[in-house]
Amino acid sequence: MNALLSGARFTAKRLVGAALVLLVLSVALYSLFYLLPGDPARLACGERCDPSQVAQVRERLGLDEPVHAQYAHFLQGLFTGRDYSAGTSVRHCAAPCLGLSHQNDQPVSTLIVEGFPATLSLAVGAMTLCLLLGVGTGLLSALRRGGITERVLTVLTLAGTGTPVFLLGLLLLMVVCAYLRWLPFPSYVPLAEDPEQWAWNMLLPWLTLGLFESAKYARLTRASTLEVLAEDHIRTFRAYGVGERAVVARHALRGALPPVIALGALDLGTMLGGAMITESLFGLPGLGRLLIGSVRDVDLPVVVGVVLVIGTAVVVANAVADVLHALADRRVLPS
Amino acid sequence: MRVLPRDRRPALPRAAATASVTLALLGGAVACAGPQDDGSGGGDGKPAEGGTLTVLNSDAQSDFDPARLYTSGGGNVPSLVFRTLTTRNRADGAKGTEVVPDLATGLGKPSEGAKVWTYELKPGLKYEDGSPITSADVKYGVERSFAAELSGGPPYLRDWLIGGDRYEGPFGKGKKELDSIETPDDRTIVFRLKKGVGDFPYVATQTQFAPVPKAKDTGTDYEKHPLSSGPYRVVKNTNDGERLQLARNKHWSAKTDSERKAYPDTVDVRSGLDPAVINQRLSTSSSADAKAVTTDTNLGPAELARVGSDKELKERVGVGHFGYTNYLAFNPDVKPFDDPAVRKAVAYAIDRASVVNAVGGSSLAEPATTFLPNQKAFGYTPYDHFPAGRGGDPDKAREVLAKAGHRNGITLTLTHSTEDGETGPKIAAAVQQSLKKAGIRVRLEGLENNAYDEKRWDAEDAPGLYLSRWGADWPAGYPFLAPIFDGRQIVANGANFNHAKLDDPAVNKEFDDVQQLTDLDAAAKRWGALDSRIGEQALSVPLFHPVYQRLVGKDVKNVVISDWTGVLDVSQVAVR
Amino acid sequence: MAVRQETAVRDSVTPLGATGPAPGPGGVWRRLRTRPAALASGGVLAVLVAAALAAPLLTALAGQDPYAYHGDLVDSARGGAPHGAFGGASGAHWLGVEPGTGRDLFALLLHGARVSLLVAAGATLLQVVVGLAVGLTAALGGRWADRLLSRVTDVMVALPMLVLAIALTTVVPGDFPRPLLLVLVMGLLGWGGVSRVVRARTMALRGLDFVAAARLGGSGRLRVARRELLPSLAAPVLTYAAILLPSNIVLEASLSFLGIGVKPPTPSWGQLLSTATTWYRADPAYVLLPSGLLFVTVLAFTVLGDAVRAALDPREASRLRVGTRGERAERPLEGGESVHVGTRLAGSGAKSADTGTRLPRTGAESPVPHEEKAP
Repeated sequence: MNALLSGARFTAKRLVGAALVLLVLSVALYSLFYLLPGDPARLACGERCDPSQVAQVRERLGLDEPVHAQYAHFLQGLFTGRDYSAGTSVRHCAAPCLGLSHQNDQPVSTLIVEGFPATLSLAVGAMTLCLLLGVGTGLLSALRRGGITERVLTVLTLAGTGTPVFLLGLLLLMVVCAYLRWLPFPSYVPLAEDPEQWAWNMLLPWLTLGLFESAKYARLTRASTLEVLAEDHIRTFRAYGVGERAVVARHALRGALPPVIALGALDLGTMLGGAMITESLFGLPGLGRLLIGSVRDVDLPVVVGVVLVIGTAVVVANAVADVLHALADRRVLPS
Repeated sequence: MRVLPRDRRPALPRAAATASVTLALLGGAVACAGPQDDGSGGGDGKPAEGGTLTVLNSDAQSDFDPARLYTSGGGNVPSLVFRTLTTRNRADGAKGTEVVPDLATGLGKPSEGAKVWTYELKPGLKYEDGSPITSADVKYGVERSFAAELSGGPPYLRDWLIGGDRYEGPFGKGKKELDSIETPDDRTIVFRLKKGVGDFPYVATQTQFAPVPKAKDTGTDYEKHPLSSGPYRVVKNTNDGERLQLARNKHWSAKTDSERKAYPDTVDVRSGLDPAVINQRLSTSSSADAKAVTTDTNLGPAELARVGSDKELKERVGVGHFGYTNYLAFNPDVKPFDDPAVRKAVAYAIDRASVVNAVGGSSLAEPATTFLPNQKAFGYTPYDHFPAGRGGDPDKAREVLAKAGHRNGITLTLTHSTEDGETGPKIAAAVQQSLKKAGIRVRLEGLENNAYDEKRWDAEDAPGLYLSRWGADWPAGYPFLAPIFDGRQIVANGANFNHAKLDDPAVNKEFDDVQQLTDLDAAAKRWGALDSRIGEQALSVPLFHPVYQRLVGKDVKNVVISDWTGVLDVSQVAVR
Repeated sequence: MAVRQETAVRDSVTPLGATGPAPGPGGVWRRLRTRPAALASGGVLAVLVAAALAAPLLTALAGQDPYAYHGDLVDSARGGAPHGAFGGASGAHWLGVEPGTGRDLFALLLHGARVSLLVAAGATLLQVVVGLAVGLTAALGGRWADRLLSRVTDVMVALPMLVLAIALTTVVPGDFPRPLLLVLVMGLLGWGGVSRVVRARTMALRGLDFVAAARLGGSGRLRVARRELLPSLAAPVLTYAAILLPSNIVLEASLSFLGIGVKPPTPSWGQLLSTATTWYRADPAYVLLPSGLLFVTVLAFTVLGDAVRAALDPREASRLRVGTRGERAERPLEGGESVHVGTRLAGSGAKSADTGTRLPRTGAESPVPHEEKAP
C-alpha cells in the first residue's frame, strides 16, 4: 500500500514536471520555427500572391505580431479558447485550443483527432506483434540455445533490424501483395467501419514495424531470462526438484518479463507519435505523416500540437513503464 | 505559369518518382497516363456506366475550395465537382489544348478590343440540391477568391479586372462587391478588364469561375462540402482531403455538359500513398486496384525499365505532354553572369543527354532548346541559338570563355533544392558533370526546398545560377513567357519569376500587343517569335521538357490524355 | 519507504562486483577470442573499415572514380537501366553501374561506406560525449542540476527526432557539409539514452565503497569523476555505444529516405538505398548490394557489440570461477552472455529509425524512480 501510494505520488510529481517540460518544449519550437526559412504567410497564400495579399494573410494568421505575442495567443487558446474568422462567420475554438492550421484553416485538434486512430491502430498492433515475436525468439534462444528454430528466428529479427524500414516495408509489399498475391495491397479502413477489413489491411504495416523493432526485444528477453535463470532463488527451486518447465513458466518468465514490459510501454508511447515511414508506405493517415508534412509547410500550430500530443504520450508511457516495472518486478522478489 | 503554386510535397520525398511533377497543386492534379493508342487501357468493348473508380494519389487534395485551387484548365478531380464558364476540350493530344464552353453557351463574346467579355449561361443548370445556377453565383465565386481567407488561386483576375488590385473580397470591411463584374440578368455575366486579353476564355476554365451560391457559403469550411455543379458530389472528405469519396450528382445532366463522360457511379480518391507503392498497385491490379488510376504519380525510371520488358504492362501505360520547361536560370546582377559570353559558354557546354538521364532517361524527358514547350498551342518555334548537340560542345564553350578572358576556365556556383526532383541534387550533379568537360568548375549549393524557393524568387538576393522550371497555367504563350520576361512583372518584395530582371521596352510592348489578340493562332506565332528573340540573349539555358508516363489499372477504359494536362482525364475514364 | 526498500533488495540481487571496475583490456580480449561469431564479425568489420579507409586507393586500382558519369553504359530509353546483365557488371565495372548516371557501383559503395560509417561513428561519439557530460553533471552536480538535466533529458528522449532533424537541416546554410551536419544532428539529438545510463550508473556508483573512500580521502568532484567513475562507466557506456552505432547506420539511411541525408553527388549507403528501392525488379543488383552491405555491417556490429558487452561484464569472470549448476556448467562460456540489469535496459536506448524518436528507457537502470533513489 505504501508502495502504491508513493508510486502514485511519484507519478503525479512526474506528470507535473512533464507538463512543465512540454511547455518549455513548445517555447523551443516557437523559437526554432521562427528561424526556419519559408514564410508561412507566403506559403499559405500561394506563390502567385502579390505582396499586399501576403500581408493580408499574415495579418489574418496573426503572423505580423512578434513571436512572443504569437506564443501568448497560443497559450491563451490553450487555456481559454480563441475565436477565428472563417470569412462568412466567426468560429469559436474551445479550450484547450491548439489553434488553426496556417495552411488549411482546419483546427489542429480536428487534424489530430482524425489522425490518431490510424496511428493508434499501427502502434498497438505492431507492438503486440513485436512482443510476440521478440519475446518468443528471446525465450527460445535463452532456453534451447543453438537450436535451428532459434537460429532462424534470431536471423529473422536481426534482418528486420538491419534493414531500413522503408526497404523492409516495400519488400514485404512487393513479395506478399505483388509477387505471391496473398493479400491485396493494404488501404486503411477504420476499425469502426469494418473490424475485419481493418485487421487485414493493418497486417503488413504491423509486420513491418513489428519486425523492425523485434530484435531489440529478443535480445532483452534473452538476456534477462538468462540472468534470472542464474539467480539464487531459481537455483533453489531447481534444487528442490521443481520441473524445468515450471521453473521457466512460473518463475523465470515472471522475472524476465518486467524489463520487456517496461520497454514495451515506452516504445508504445513513442510509436503513438507516429511512424512516418511506415505510415507513408502503407498510406495510413496518421500523426507521423501529419507532423512531417506540417514541418515542411512551416505550419507551426500543427507542429506544436502534434509534438505536444506525442510528448504527452511518451511521458505517460514513461510513468506507466516505471510503475509496471516496479510492480511486476516485486512479485518475483522474495519478500 | 507556374505550376506548383505551392509545392506541396508528399509526406515523403519520393525516391521513386523522379519526374514527379506535382501538378496536383494544380488543383487536382493533373496526372496520369493511359494507353497511347485509342486510350482503352484494358478490357474490351465500349465504356459503360457504373462501378467505382479508385484514384491512388500521392498528394492529398488538401484544398478543395474552388477559390483556393490553382488549376490548369479546372483541375482533374476538382473538375468532377466544379463546372466553370469554359473548360478544356477533353480530347487526346493537341486537340485537347482547345478551350470549349462549359456552363456558358460559348467561349465568351469579346468587345471593346477584348476589354469586355460577355458570357451567357446555358439554360437549366442546377446544383446538387436542385437549385438553379445563376450568373450572380459565378460572380460571387470570383469575388470570394479575392478574400485573404481563401487565398491561393492564380493572379490573373486580380491583375486584369478593373479594381481587382484593390478589392479584398466579400467578407472584409471594405466594398462587398466588385463592380467590374456585372450580371444584367440571371444568365448573363460581363467582365470588364483594364486591358484587352485575348486569352480570357482560357482563364475562365479555372475553378474561380465555378458558381458558389452566396447563401450556402461557409467560408473556410466550404471545402468540406462544396455545392457541386458537376457530375459528382462530395460524400465525404476525410483527413483534410486525404480521402475524398464522390458519388453521382443526380441533378447534373449530360445534356448540358458535353465534356464530362462520368461513367463510374462513384469515385474514391485515396491519397498520401508512396509513389512506388502507387505504381506497384496499378501494375499488380488486384481487386479494386484494377479499376484504379492516379492523377499525380508518374512512372519512375525503375518502373519504366521494367514496363519495357512486359507487353501487358506497356499497353497500360499512357504517355502525356504537359507544357513544361526545366531550365538553368541566370541572374545577370551576379558576376560573372553579367557577361553574356559566360552565359553562352554554359549554353554551349551543357550535356542535355546526361541531364535527361538524371531525370530518368529519354522516355521521361525530351531535351529542350527553346523556352516555350514544344507544342503548337504555345507557339513553339524551334531554335537552337547555341547548339550543344546531344552531349554538349565543350570546345566551343572553351573558345567562347577564352575570348571573354577566362583562359583557365571558370568557377561557378549552381544553386538547387535538396529535395529530389526536377530542381534537385541529381540534376544539379549532372549539370556539374557536363560543364566540367568545358573547364567550367561548378560548386553545388543545395538549399532546403522552402529556403530555395524563397531565395530564387527574391528579386534582391537571387543566386547567380540556379535550377528552375515553369509550367503552363493554360496552353498559350502569354502565361508561359510574361511572368518570366515581362519587365513590369518584376516583383520587388514578393515572389519574382523574372530571373534575369529583363525589362526591355520593346519586349514589354510586344507582350501588350499580342495579349489583346483574339486570333489565338496569330498570337501563337508571335509568341514563338518573341521566345526566339529573347533566347538570343542566353538569359536561361533550357534543359528539358518532362514527359509523363503513367499506368492505369487493367480494367480501366477510355483513357484520354490531352496536351493541356498531359495526364489522363478522370472525367472520361470508365471502369466497366 | 517501501520503494526505497525495494531498491535495496534489488541492489543486493545484482552482484556488487557488477558495478566495480571493468576488467582490463587483456581479459576482455581473452574472452572475445573464444567466440567464433565475435571474431568473424570483427574480421568482417575490419575488412570493411579498411576498405572504406582505402576507398580512394581501391577505386583507383579498379580504374574508377565515383563521380564519373558513363552515359553510354545505361539505356536512356529504359529509364536509364544499365546495359547488360547483373546491373551492367563488366571487367571495368566489377559490380556494375548506377542506373541513370552510369557511375561505377563498386566505387560508389566504397566511398559510400566512408560516409556512412564516418557519419555513424561520429554521431555515436558525439552522443556518448554529450551523454557522459550531461549524465555525470546530473549525478554529481547537486539536486537542482539533476532535476533540470533530467527533465531536459526527458525532452530529448520524448522528441520526435525526425522533426527536429528536418528543422535543423533547414536552418543551416546550403554549403555546410552534409555529413558533418548529419553527425551534429544525430549526435546532438540522440544523447538522451546515454545520459540516462550514465546518470543512473553514477548514482549507484557514488554510494559504493571505493568511490566513497576516494571522496572521503579529499578528492574533488572532478577528480572523482575522472579517476574513479569514468573507468567504471566504461563498460556500460561502451555497451551502449555498441548498440547505438548500428542503429545510427540505419538511421542515416532513413534520413536519406526522408530527404535530409547526404546529397548527390556525394555517395552514402543510405542515399544509394533510398534511390535503389524501386529498382528491385529492373536491376536487382543495385538494391541487393547496398542493402546487403548495410545488413552485414549492422549484423556484424550487433554481434560484436553483444560479445564485447558480455566480455566487459565483470560477472562473467566471477561466474566462470564460481561455475553454475546444471547444464550450463558444461557450457560455461555461454553463461557469460547474461547481462546485468543496468546494461540490459540500456539496450532499450537504441533509437527507432522509423519513429525517429529515441526509444526512451526507464528513468534509471533500476525500475525505481530516480527521485526516490537519490540518497
